[in-house]
Amino acid sequence: MVLNSLDKMIQLQKNTAKIRNICVLAHVDHGKTTLADCLISSNGIISSRLAGKLRYMDSREDEQIRGITMKSSAISLHYTKGTEEYLINLIDSPGHVDFSSEVSTAVRICDGCIIVVDAVEGVCPQTQAVLRQAWLENIRPVLVINKIDRLIVELKFTPQEAYSHLKNILEQINALTGALFTSKVLEERAERETESQVNPSSEQGEQVYDWSAGLEDTDDSHLYFSPDQGNVVFTSAIDGWGFGIEHFAKIYSEKIGIKKEVLLKTLWGDYYINMKAKKIMKVDQAKGKKPLFVQLILENIWSLYDAVLKKDKEKIDKIVTSLGLKIGAREARHSDPKVQISAVCSQWLPISQAVLAMVCQKLPSPLDITAERVEKLMCTGSQTFDSLPPETQALKAAFMKCGSEDTAPVIIFVSKMFAVDAKALPQNKPRPLTQEEIAQRRERARQRHAEKLAAAQGQAPLEPTQDGSAPETNLKGEEPRGDEEQVESMTPKPMPQEENNQGSFVAFARVFSGVARRGKKIFVLGPKYSPVEFLQRVPLGFSAPPDDLPPVPHMAYCTLGNLYLLMGRDLEDLEEVPPGNVLGIGGLQDFVLKSATLCSLPSCPPFIPLNFEATPIVRVAVEPKHPSEMPHLVKGMKLLNQADPCVQILIQETGEHVLVTAGEVHLQRCLDDLRERFAKIEISVSEPIIPFRETITKPPKVDMVNEEIGKQQKVAVIHQTKEDQSKIPEGIQVDSDGLVTLTTPNKLATLSVRAMPLPEEVTQILEENSDLIRSIEQLTSSLNEGRNTQMIHQKIQEKIWEFKGKLEQHLTGRKWRNVVDQIWSFGPRKCGPNILVNKSEDFQNSVWPGPASKASKEATKYRDLGNSIVSGFQLATLSGPMCEEPLMGVCFVLEKWDLSKFEEQGATDKQNQEQSDLVKEGQMGDEKQELQDGCSEPFEKRTAQKGEASLSDCYGPFSGQLIATMKEACRYALQVKPQRLMAAMYTCDIMATGDVLGRVYAVLSKREGRVLQEEMKEGTDMFIIKAVLPVAESFGFADEIRKRTSGLASPQLVFSHWEMIPSDPFWVPTTEEEYLHFGEKADSENQARKYMNAVRKRKGLYVEEKIVEHAEKQRTLSKNK
Amino acid sequence: MSIFTPTNQIRLTNVAVVRMKRAGKRFEIACYKNKVVGWRSGVEKDLDEVLQTHSVFVNVSKGQVAKKEDLISAFGTDDQTEICKQILTKGEVQVSDKERHTQLEQMFRDIATIVADKCVNPETKRPYTVILIERAMKDIHYSVKTNKSTKQQALEVIKQLKEKMKIERAHMRLRFLLPVSEGKKLKEKLKPFIKVIESEDYDQQLEIVCLIDPGCFREIDELIKKETKGKGSLEVLNLKDVEEGDEKLE
Repeated sequence: MVLNSLDKMIQLQKNTAKIRNICVLAHVDHGKTTLADCLISSNGIISSRLAGKLRYMDSREDEQIRGITMKSSAISLHYTKGTEEYLINLIDSPGHVDFSSEVSTAVRICDGCIIVVDAVEGVCPQTQAVLRQAWLENIRPVLVINKIDRLIVELKFTPQEAYSHLKNILEQINALTGALFTSKVLEERAERETESQVNPSSEQGEQVYDWSAGLEDTDDSHLYFSPDQGNVVFTSAIDGWGFGIEHFAKIYSEKIGIKKEVLLKTLWGDYYINMKAKKIMKVDQAKGKKPLFVQLILENIWSLYDAVLKKDKEKIDKIVTSLGLKIGAREARHSDPKVQISAVCSQWLPISQAVLAMVCQKLPSPLDITAERVEKLMCTGSQTFDSLPPETQALKAAFMKCGSEDTAPVIIFVSKMFAVDAKALPQNKPRPLTQEEIAQRRERARQRHAEKLAAAQGQAPLEPTQDGSAPETNLKGEEPRGDEEQVESMTPKPMPQEENNQGSFVAFARVFSGVARRGKKIFVLGPKYSPVEFLQRVPLGFSAPPDDLPPVPHMAYCTLGNLYLLMGRDLEDLEEVPPGNVLGIGGLQDFVLKSATLCSLPSCPPFIPLNFEATPIVRVAVEPKHPSEMPHLVKGMKLLNQADPCVQILIQETGEHVLVTAGEVHLQRCLDDLRERFAKIEISVSEPIIPFRETITKPPKVDMVNEEIGKQQKVAVIHQTKEDQSKIPEGIQVDSDGLVTLTTPNKLATLSVRAMPLPEEVTQILEENSDLIRSIEQLTSSLNEGRNTQMIHQKIQEKIWEFKGKLEQHLTGRKWRNVVDQIWSFGPRKCGPNILVNKSEDFQNSVWPGPASKASKEATKYRDLGNSIVSGFQLATLSGPMCEEPLMGVCFVLEKWDLSKFEEQGATDKQNQEQSDLVKEGQMGDEKQELQDGCSEPFEKRTAQKGEASLSDCYGPFSGQLIATMKEACRYALQVKPQRLMAAMYTCDIMATGDVLGRVYAVLSKREGRVLQEEMKEGTDMFIIKAVLPVAESFGFADEIRKRTSGLASPQLVFSHWEMIPSDPFWVPTTEEEYLHFGEKADSENQARKYMNAVRKRKGLYVEEKIVEHAEKQRTLSKNK
Repeated sequence: MSIFTPTNQIRLTNVAVVRMKRAGKRFEIACYKNKVVGWRSGVEKDLDEVLQTHSVFVNVSKGQVAKKEDLISAFGTDDQTEICKQILTKGEVQVSDKERHTQLEQMFRDIATIVADKCVNPETKRPYTVILIERAMKDIHYSVKTNKSTKQQALEVIKQLKEKMKIERAHMRLRFLLPVSEGKKLKEKLKPFIKVIESEDYDQQLEIVCLIDPGCFREIDELIKKETKGKGSLEVLNLKDVEEGDEKLE
């Protein structure tokens, strides 16, 4: 075993037919990294004794601590089989669900994969997932059944039992593959059917038998795993052995003299050997005959394990000699049987040979890329290959050819960006010095030494005059040289501090065609780039240098930076990379966000987006510990976003930075990365703030025990009245149907407001059209100022009328007569889902632009006051009375607007003054002060002195009073109606297998979720459940559902709508029935109240909660203490 | 029973005393700790959960019960429970540890909420979260004063926080409509208040849309009223100028 030099690798890279790009996929803890270790040790990179313990590919610290892989990483290996030399680009991938995005990135750049299955645990949820992923990416799998030793040592199976167990596992996996296959066939058939429906020209007769055509016609035998096909290997990576059928077939064909081909077919399966007849016969289980596999293979291994575990020295020696192996004295004497086993087995059945031989034989080289896969990669979304422009279609040939000539277009796919410490980059690494360099340095050191001596000598004789200048200059001359030296010795070491801190991004990529060279100019195509767009914008056969190209969205032009050979945690510099290889590219961080396609031709389409099994679902809010470090955090999060394919980062309206990750473990890793790598600050993590909305509803007809209200006598009316009193202070008139009348503090204006719930559909329309409403608002405001109205586009006008029509359609009935025409404003922020309706007689104003709302002179007079009213309404809708959250679906009707007193004053000055209401207001203010002697004196003085009209009296400006009064009136109008909270809801799509369906339901119902529908996915045993779930209950939901279903169900959450929580947050039992049912205190949890109190507590609002529940149960402090 | 013996003392531990002076005499009642404030705010409705005993004392710690005559002369009744209720609602209270704690905490939160509501990060125009503000307040060792309103204190906190972090009050967007004759002159006067002028339009009137610090709204308002003699007008377009909507980092 020789450590392969870089040159060797470079040479191997050029032979595309001998390259294998593979990845290792499996469920978590099935031994991917251990297997990778064994393969790496075969190349001498790590010691074979450490293989399986070192976990070479897990280069992160937390990976080593937790013992799970968290990122996919690649390594290039060299394998010699006979005279043929292969280059194997091995990618190790994580098995944990949270990191399945890393699996996706790995699978994309491979041609084949090794599926590892634990012999004891069998097929696990992630095994299914990775099989599906490999299938979707169209890459060919081979199977490794790992941990056979556990069958012997832990489960103590007999060889016969082990055989049937293995057979079982194989069947399970093949069943899965079959299911994938059928679902694909069914899908294709469905597609075909829809197509044939589109063009019904095809004959009827064909369709009659078409239903059976799907499965039987398509050949699927090559898909399945079977040892006799050579695509299954049995291993024990921890003990370092593994074998395929072929290995034993070879041995026994020599030994027993049966043809190898026959043995290959019969070694696996129910065959037994009849030694006397020298025949292999089909076994009959009842006869108790052992199958060949058991007799010839398993029993031998079993006996070896048996001997070693029992420390049967003689037997071991016998086996060793009979196998013709040499065991080192140290291993032979070792007391740990494990060491002995691995020493024997790794020589007898070396795992790397078995696995790599299979890989080289069964998995395709980059040259064998199937046309089907190429087409799939190139067609984004629902596009078909034929619809692509001809230039693009031409590229398919390049793909298939995978040529390395200079003329071949360069196509590279970047599947992810990963951060590397600047230290680890080859150009910054301390390199061993070459001979010449060492000689040079020695020379220089000698010189310096001599100079020093000379200087010392020069100074010693104390000749400070003319001669002294010589050594001085000499010294000066030496100084820079010394610096140079220092610089030289510095450069190989890490860069100065800042750069070191930054780390840099390396793109994890694969060359699909052409040769990637350092410094080559190349187009970077984002996932949303479309070659069609480019071809439209740029005239055919453009000759301008690419830098002058017109900007095309999602396309950039850049130079390839450093190219690296990925060697696990190390990177090696490369000058060029021939096609079919996996490589790392530096210097792309400014161009590539997460993934991209690089191509020398702009006509290349971007590859289809990676297919993620898990979508980000766990949301947390992230904040810096010290508020001043906010910019660091933002920068760090941007880097994290780039480095992780499966992370989402949101900045919310509340100012929260929300991090969305795939799961708890993933979250932990992201936070660690943020803390230690990207942001380098202390951060704190919390549950994100959950928004609510407040609304009102119609008074209920029935009470909590479904009795009609009003029939039974109220028992505890006291409670109710007490609360009402506390809510509404004196001085407010409330009539029985909820009309609230309020006067401004200076008693000049009186407002009457009523609140009504809006129908649900109307709220929805308002929500959808918030942008339109905003533009209406802008229009009316410009109209009001008397500006020209030409800017109203016909289109917007039409939209507005359509919107109005829709509202009218839904707001029908006696209550809502003419309401749409009287809408004055929307709120909050002038575009929200609440309405202010103006029903007062003497003043007309509405939001609708056009001749209908042409502001009359009378109206302009009130405009400023009107603005105050609207502002009051806006404020009221922005924060409701329950927990200061915005309102939704409420209609405030301004029934009366009594300004009689105000007008009286206005009328008196009408003759004197011009029509300026502001002055009127001012005058009013003056008179007001005369009326009220209680005003503050300095104020009076000032106004008197200046003799000017001032708007303010002791209550502040009148407009401000009006705003406050309007706001209060709206609040009280709300409070007299039954108030409700609205919760944000997620729609939740859950994929689950049939057997965990019950648990999914349990988790959903525990978290107040509601299942909308459930259907089975055609051709599989997967169920798709659609449910809604309150956002407030979603924290930890993904984790819980995964735990409860052992990972067999994976949810996806998307915000969908607002939904009213039916329970009343202020509810207390009032009737006798309710008393019986709930008790006096209504101890049962009230969901709405729980939410409301939580929000109030968070905001520091008053919460009606006892500080101490039971007075007697407080700790009594004795006097002595 | 004029002799003061241990047997006729009612010694109570864990007491919160509520006192009241009436008719020159001091009366006390013995309550449970952390309960009196709850009773006053109406959260606690069960009197027995508040009162340790229904008797009225002269001195709780000594266990001296008030005399009947004194009670009648002071309250006009000898119904101990009624008197207890009166004392509970009107007497002076010892605020217990937990009560004080919750009050302070509540005010602290309230202040932080107000600050978070009024302020933005000037770089991003996005608000800070309440938790962050709370932490910053703790960092500057802000202590809550119970006798000042939370709003007042919030304004104070903003001033202090400005020294520590990048924080600013969210600007208010205003529109002035000024008569042309005085427009120029007035604009100069308004200049010091205005942070950013977004648009200026001389038509029949001078129209200015600008951002101001909400603190000087009143002054601007008064200035305009005074200078234009009511001809100019002022309109609030937006109470706070903040980035709206969620942003996805890409």
